[in-house]
Amino acid sequence: MSIAQTPDNGALPTPDVANRPRRAGFAARVSADDRSEIPLATATAPPLPTTEAPASTPRRRRRYNAEGLEAGKRSTRTLLWILLAAAMVLYGFPFLYLLFTSFKTPIDTIAVPPTILPREWTLENYINALGRSGVLPSFINSVQTAIISTLLSLVLAIPAAYGITRYKTPSGRVFIMAALVTRMVPPVAIGIPLASMMAGVGLADTPIALSIAHTTISLPLSIWLMSSFFEAVPQDLEEAATVDGCSRLGALWRVVIPVVSGGIAVTAIFAFLASWNEFLFALLMTAIRSQTTPVVIANFQTQFGLDWGSMTALAAVFSIPVILLTLLLQRKIVAGMTLGAVKG
Amino acid sequence: MRIPDRRFALFLMTPAAVFLAVFVAYPLIRLITDSFYKISPNVGGTREFIGVANYVEAFGSEAFTNAGWRTLAYTTIVVTLEFTLGLGMALLFTMLGKRSQIWRTAFLYPLMIAPIVAGLLWKFLMIDNFGLIGTLLYQAGILQNPNQIGWLSNPDIVLFSVAIPDIWLTTSFMCLVLFAGLQNIPGDLIEAARLDGAKAPALLFRIILPLLRPVIAVALVVRGIDAARAFDTILIQTNGGPDSASETMSLLIYRTMIRFGDPGLASAMGTIYLLAMLGIAFFAVATIWRPGTDT
Repeated sequence: MSIAQTPDNGALPTPDVANRPRRAGFAARVSADDRSEIPLATATAPPLPTTEAPASTPRRRRRYNAEGLEAGKRSTRTLLWILLAAAMVLYGFPFLYLLFTSFKTPIDTIAVPPTILPREWTLENYINALGRSGVLPSFINSVQTAIISTLLSLVLAIPAAYGITRYKTPSGRVFIMAALVTRMVPPVAIGIPLASMMAGVGLADTPIALSIAHTTISLPLSIWLMSSFFEAVPQDLEEAATVDGCSRLGALWRVVIPVVSGGIAVTAIFAFLASWNEFLFALLMTAIRSQTTPVVIANFQTQFGLDWGSMTALAAVFSIPVILLTLLLQRKIVAGMTLGAVKG
Repeated sequence: MRIPDRRFALFLMTPAAVFLAVFVAYPLIRLITDSFYKISPNVGGTREFIGVANYVEAFGSEAFTNAGWRTLAYTTIVVTLEFTLGLGMALLFTMLGKRSQIWRTAFLYPLMIAPIVAGLLWKFLMIDNFGLIGTLLYQAGILQNPNQIGWLSNPDIVLFSVAIPDIWLTTSFMCLVLFAGLQNIPGDLIEAARLDGAKAPALLFRIILPLLRPVIAVALVVRGIDAARAFDTILIQTNGGPDSASETMSLLIYRTMIRFGDPGLASAMGTIYLLAMLGIAFFAVATIWRPGTDT
C-alpha cells in the first residue's frame, strides 16, 4: 500500500509471476505468519515442550523460524528496547505535535519560540475550521467519492481477477501486465485529459468524475490483490458446485466470493484509502461543488493566508478516523500489504 | 449451452479492461497527440499542429533538464534513506521477536496519513521562525540561531527537506516488507553461520541481504516509482521553490499546464517523463529483480 502512499502501495509486473510457484508459496507463508501472530502460537511452530519455556530464560530457543536472528543476551535486548523506544518517540512525535498544536489558541500556534504543549487547551481551532464554509460539505464529498470509487474498483476487479487466476489464458496474462504498467503512469500525465473528458460528458466537478479518476489508481492494485486471494482458493470448490448444477457465474457468486470475503475487505480498505488521501486528481478535477477535504486543507494555505491553527485541526479531524479504522483492522491490512508487495 | 472457458474468462475481464482503456489508455493517447500541438489554454482555444517543436522546446529548456535531475536526486534520497531506516527497523523488530508485535503495528500509522497532511505537518515543523525543529536544536545549543538551517528556504538543502515527509510516510512500508522477508530466512542458516564464526556485519552482508534480494528488489522498485511521481508533499511544502530548487518533474508539468497555460508543452514533457519512467522501471526489473533467477 503504498496505501500507502502509501497507502499507495502495490506491486510491479514481472513476467507471468502469478504462475511461479516459488513466489506464491513465499507470499502464502508470509501471510500465514501474519495471521497467526495475534494468538501467541505460530502455525509453523513445532510443538516442542521447550518452546513453552518462560521468558525469564535468557537463551531460550524460540519458536520463530527467524530464531537465529533474535537477540539472546539480556543486555543486548535491553539496548534494543531502548533503541526501539527512541525510534518510536521520533516517529510518533510529528503527529502528536500536530494534535497538540490543534488545541492551542490560534495565536499560540505561530508563537516564537514555539512550545510543544499548548499553554492553554482550547477547541477554538476546531470550531474555526469546521465552521468555515465548504469544510463540512468537503467531508461529505470525500466520503461519497471514496465509497463510489471503492465499489467501482471491487465490481470491476473481482470478476477480472477471477478470470485471470482461474482460467490462466494468455489474454489474462497480458491483461494483468497491462494493469500493472498502469501503476507507472504519473497521475499528472493523465489528469488533464481525464478532466477534459469528464467535462465533455457533463460530469465536470462531480463526485462521480473524481471517483472514476481515483479508480484508475485503485483498480490495478485491487486486481493484483484479488488475484492473490483467488489464487489461494482450491479449484475443487467451484468444480463441486458446478457438478451440483451451479453455473460458473453462480459458483463464483455463491461459493467463491464468500470464501474470499476477507480478501475483499482488505482490497476495499486499500481502495478506500487511496481515494480518501488522493490530492492531485482532486485538485485538477473539482472546483466548488465536489471539492474533497485534502483540497480544502491545501486551500487554507492560500485562500485565508496562513491559518495554521485551523489547518492542524482540520488535518487531525481528517486523519484520525482513518488511523483508528486501520489500527482496528491492522491484521488484515498487514496481510494485504505484504501480499501486495512481496508476492510481486 | 456452455461457452468455452477461454471466452468466459474474457467476458469476466472485459469490464475492467474497458474501464482501463477508456480512462487510462485513452487519456494517454490524448496526452501524446496533444504533445504535437500548440494549444491555447482558453476554452475552445485554437490547436495548431507544430510537429516535434514542443519536444525540442522541452529538451532545450533548462527548467526541464534540471527538473529531470532533481527528480532523480529526490528519488535516490527517498529510496536510500527509506531502505536504510526500514531495514534497520525490520532488523530491530526481528531481533526483539514476538513481543515487539504491538510496536510493529504502531509503527505503521504514518501509512494511513494523507501525503498532503504529512507535507503540511513537516512544513510546520521545519518552517522558519516558528518551526519546532530549528527551535529545539537552538535550545539544545546545536544551532546559534533557530533559523540557521533554513530547511525550506535554503535552495541547497530544500530538496532534502521536502523528501522528509515522504520518508516519514513510507519507511513503514519498507520495514513491513523487509520484516516479512526476514521471517522467511531459516533460523538454522543464521545459527550455522554464527557457529562458523560469522560476525554481525558478515551475517548482514553475506547472508541476510543476499537472501532478501527478491524482496528488496520489489520494495525498491515499487517505492522508486512512487517517489519519482511525488507531488502532494512537495507542492504543499514549497510549491517547487525557492528558485525552483525543489521543482520535480510532476510539479514542473503541473505548473506548465496550469500556471503557464501551455498544455502542448506540458503534454510533451509528460510524454517524455512517462517514457523515462517506463524505461527505468523495466531496466530495474530486468537487472535488480532478475525474475526467473534464483537469488
